[in-house]
Amino acid sequence: MSTVSPLVRNGQHVTAHHERLTKQDLLEIYRRLWFARLFDEALYDAKKKGRLRRGNVYSSRGQEAIMVGTTYPLREDDFVSPIHRDMPVFVFRGMRLEEVMCQVWGKAEAPTRGKDSWSHMGDISKGIIHSTSMLGSTIAVACGVLWAQRMDGRHDRVLVAYTGEGATATGPFHEGLNFAAVHKLPLIVVVENNQYAYSTPVELEVPTETVAERALGYGIPGYSIDGNDVLEVYDAMCDALEHARAGKGPVLIECVTYRLLGHADHDETRARQYRPVAEIEMWEKRDPIPRFRTYLLSTGLFTEEELPNPPTDIAEQIQRAIEYAINAPDPEPHTALEDIYDEHAGVSRCVK
Amino acid sequence: MREVTFLEAIRLAMWEEMERDPNVFIIGEDIGRMGGAFGVTEGFLARFGPNRVIDAPISETAIIAVCVGAAAVGKRGIAEMQFIDFISYAFDQVVNVAATYLYRSGGKTPMPIVIRGPSGGYVGGSLYHSQQYEAWFFHVPGLKVVQPAFPDDAYGLMKAAIRDNNPVLFFEHKYLYRRIKGPIPDAHEDYIVRLGEARIRRYGNDITVITYGAMVHFALEAAQRLEREGISLEVIDLRTIKPLDMDTILESVRKTSRVLIVHEAPKTGGVGAEIAARIVEQAFEWLDAPIMRVAAKDSFVPFAEPLEKFVLPSVDDIVAAARELAAY
Ligand SMILES: Cc1ncc(C[n+]2csc(CCOP(=O)(O)OP(=O)(O)O)c2C)c(N)n1
Ligand SMILES: [Mg+2]
Repeated sequence: MSTVSPLVRNGQHVTAHHERLTKQDLLEIYRRLWFARLFDEALYDAKKKGRLRRGNVYSSRGQEAIMVGTTYPLREDDFVSPIHRDMPVFVFRGMRLEEVMCQVWGKAEAPTRGKDSWSHMGDISKGIIHSTSMLGSTIAVACGVLWAQRMDGRHDRVLVAYTGEGATATGPFHEGLNFAAVHKLPLIVVVENNQYAYSTPVELEVPTETVAERALGYGIPGYSIDGNDVLEVYDAMCDALEHARAGKGPVLIECVTYRLLGHADHDETRARQYRPVAEIEMWEKRDPIPRFRTYLLSTGLFTEEELPNPPTDIAEQIQRAIEYAINAPDPEPHTALEDIYDEHAGVSRCVK
Repeated sequence: MREVTFLEAIRLAMWEEMERDPNVFIIGEDIGRMGGAFGVTEGFLARFGPNRVIDAPISETAIIAVCVGAAAVGKRGIAEMQFIDFISYAFDQVVNVAATYLYRSGGKTPMPIVIRGPSGGYVGGSLYHSQQYEAWFFHVPGLKVVQPAFPDDAYGLMKAAIRDNNPVLFFEHKYLYRRIKGPIPDAHEDYIVRLGEARIRRYGNDITVITYGAMVHFALEAAQRLEREGISLEVIDLRTIKPLDMDTILESVRKTSRVLIVHEAPKTGGVGAEIAARIVEQAFEWLDAPIMRVAAKDSFVPFAEPLEKFVLPSVDDIVAAARELAAY
């Protein structure tokens, strides 16, 4: 790999791994960006129309390039731990869309059987590590997952843990990253720096100029990159993967982006009060999807027709999954008391 | 008198205490610029400025630790947990640092801190936005635990908590925030509800119901329903869970000889267990029936509606338990 300086600002020194992507790859990346966007829109719409009556919808609008760019170069046996603004990642890593929608609607066949909400789910068989609401917590949990791989001699499986920039202020974020760095675990922390933690601007969460500078304290590479450029995200991720798989320890990638909507669907009015509207409009112009489309067209490899805007089949697929979830059975009340203890003595279940 | 929501009562109490005492400050996530996730601290930043209204990073440990350090040198911090569930990150600061401070300083350094935040279920908040953690703190010496049910109590208790020289955990049931309205005294009356005093919210003869928080409203509804059946409930709103007002409890028990304890937190290891034990210790000969408890089932608070309903106690549960007790 290229020599990585401990701190990479503005995406400098990132190797242009994306040059090896085929036309097919680029098309798939384009479709995934749209999938993330349309997924978000469909759930917002369902909430607004009262078809989704419980739980918040945390939008990832504007942050799609991060989810797509970080998951695309992963191996099937790698791990991810998505959080509240990463719903599409569950699908990119192999969960069925119907399953994900059942989770959102709290249905019996959801991965949590209706016990928990939204992104608080996982599937160990697919390498998806569960999160809770407790921000930052997964960064430390990741260390245990990776340590177990070391115990099994599988040193090159990487775990990608997502976090907002706000959550980097928590204790478990620091403890987890410090542990991973001390033991050189292949942990890649993707910081989705969308400039706000709820209403709190990044400068009240992080004292340094970039979040990437936090990496200095752990002696690990820190990247600060354009999170709205899917190929730059892809490139940084490829660098980080090489580093982590080579046994050199964790990497922190700060993807600079913007939360175009409110903290959650209930926050739309206030989010236009605690943030300058001009700022929102400025970031709307940096929307990662049209940006990538313009790039693709500029390569000369694609015609306009090859890049539908948006691809209609994706919206239909999402809508079908929503209908499926709405019609799926609710959990039986008594199941609330199931799964509090596991009665299968001494048997490890569901290991990836 | 002012007619306000439960939320507004808490807001006004903090506001007036901050006007009265320049040592009082508030700290939490999104409490300044936005005025809090639920709007409890709306307008505080503009009125009291950034030195007394601190928008903290997502760092529950630091939020409470800042209150501890400031209290050690004479300030009075009010820490908001955006949801009380997140206090688990700061557990050490609460139980090992704040609770013990006076004790380990040889009685020289009091710890006036209020830790407040929305608690409780019935809103589809799922596992980490629904919990009632009072039992965790009830167990710890040095802490006081409060949970009001009505605006006037919320108002008077918040003022008392701010003036108290000990760490006080102040649970605000989010279900009550905007649903419950009521009169509170005017600012100049300097109204205080002393910590450690229960209040009988409804007088009755047959069964003593001991409860707090949102369950007070459930108990009052149950009492109304049972009245038609000729069963008369006396509803004690504890208001302060620790220290417990045993005098009020025992006096009522001696009148009714039947006890029903209701809380929203899971039954096992809940506050109800302690109350029941004390009644048995102190008024055994007055009891005509076993003490009964209505509480959440021993589970987390799940997301899906049928699950949440199944786990959390209901008015029907209280009615059924009271009928059983009355028939004893
Ligand atoms: C420990 C903890 N404290 C507070 C919260 C409440 N909360 C949920 S999301 C959020 C903001 C998170 O900001 P950031 O980490 O930047 O992620 P973003 O939502 O911007 O993607 C807060 C304060 C929480 N979930 N966990
Ligand atoms: Mg953020």
